[in-house]
Amino acid sequence: METIPKTEAAPATPAPERLAYSIQEAADMLGLNYFSVYRLIQRNKLKACRALRGKLLVPRTELLKLLATE
Amino acid sequence: MNYQRPTELHEKANAEAMAAFAEHMSQFKGVCSVLRDIESNLSPIGNDALKAALLSPGRVIQTDDGTEWQHDVDLSKITSICHRRTAAGFEFAVVESLPLKSGEMRSVLNSDHNVREVLRKFMRDQRQVLNLWKDDVKAQVREHLDEKYPHQDMGIVVESFEIKMARSISETRAVAQNQSRGIRI
Repeated sequence: METIPKTEAAPATPAPERLAYSIQEAADMLGLNYFSVYRLIQRNKLKACRALRGKLLVPRTELLKLLATE
Repeated sequence: MNYQRPTELHEKANAEAMAAFAEHMSQFKGVCSVLRDIESNLSPIGNDALKAALLSPGRVIQTDDGTEWQHDVDLSKITSICHRRTAAGFEFAVVESLPLKSGEMRSVLNSDHNVREVLRKFMRDQRQVLNLWKDDVKAQVREHLDEKYPHQDMGIVVESFEIKMARSISETRAVAQNQSRGIRI
């Protein structure tokens, strides 16, 4: 039986950097649980914005700022 | 309040959303349980902190603003009651040690000369954070269902999430109310 040659995988292109992340993603990037991230937002230590339906988003710049200050 | 009877599609969407947000719901339940325990033991925790401040020097915790505090009692894995001596007597604080990937961030969540006031303020703040969390999950669930079930009214499913979370928050307060009823002045 003839086998279909595998097409070469396209070289992996790095995913474009996003402008903002969900709480789950922010928690993962910071190494914290969700409650700690919400607590940082509540205390204004981490600025967040709201998307159209009210979901919280953390700007990438804010995450980098927090990671850089420690 | 939505009094609509859930259809089979609502049941399916609810099960699917519960799976998608399982981690949120599990962490939320865990935090509520820890806070409920603290709330139901506010007096003993306050007494233990006061006793610790009077009796032992306690290990020193330096917060990121350079202030030195002495550890009294742990509230959770990352929060503890600490004290320092001031001209006006002991000052108590809830100190948080956040284990960020980049290093530990230590900060004072709130402070007061009265340890019970510190605990009460701490609990109030935590409930505000829980409400912020609840509102965000509600918005995320709504967005998730709008994408999965376009042009379907999934309000009843979104509301069921909100009710579950609100109930957990109010249970932490119910403990406090029941306890305060027992206090004789």
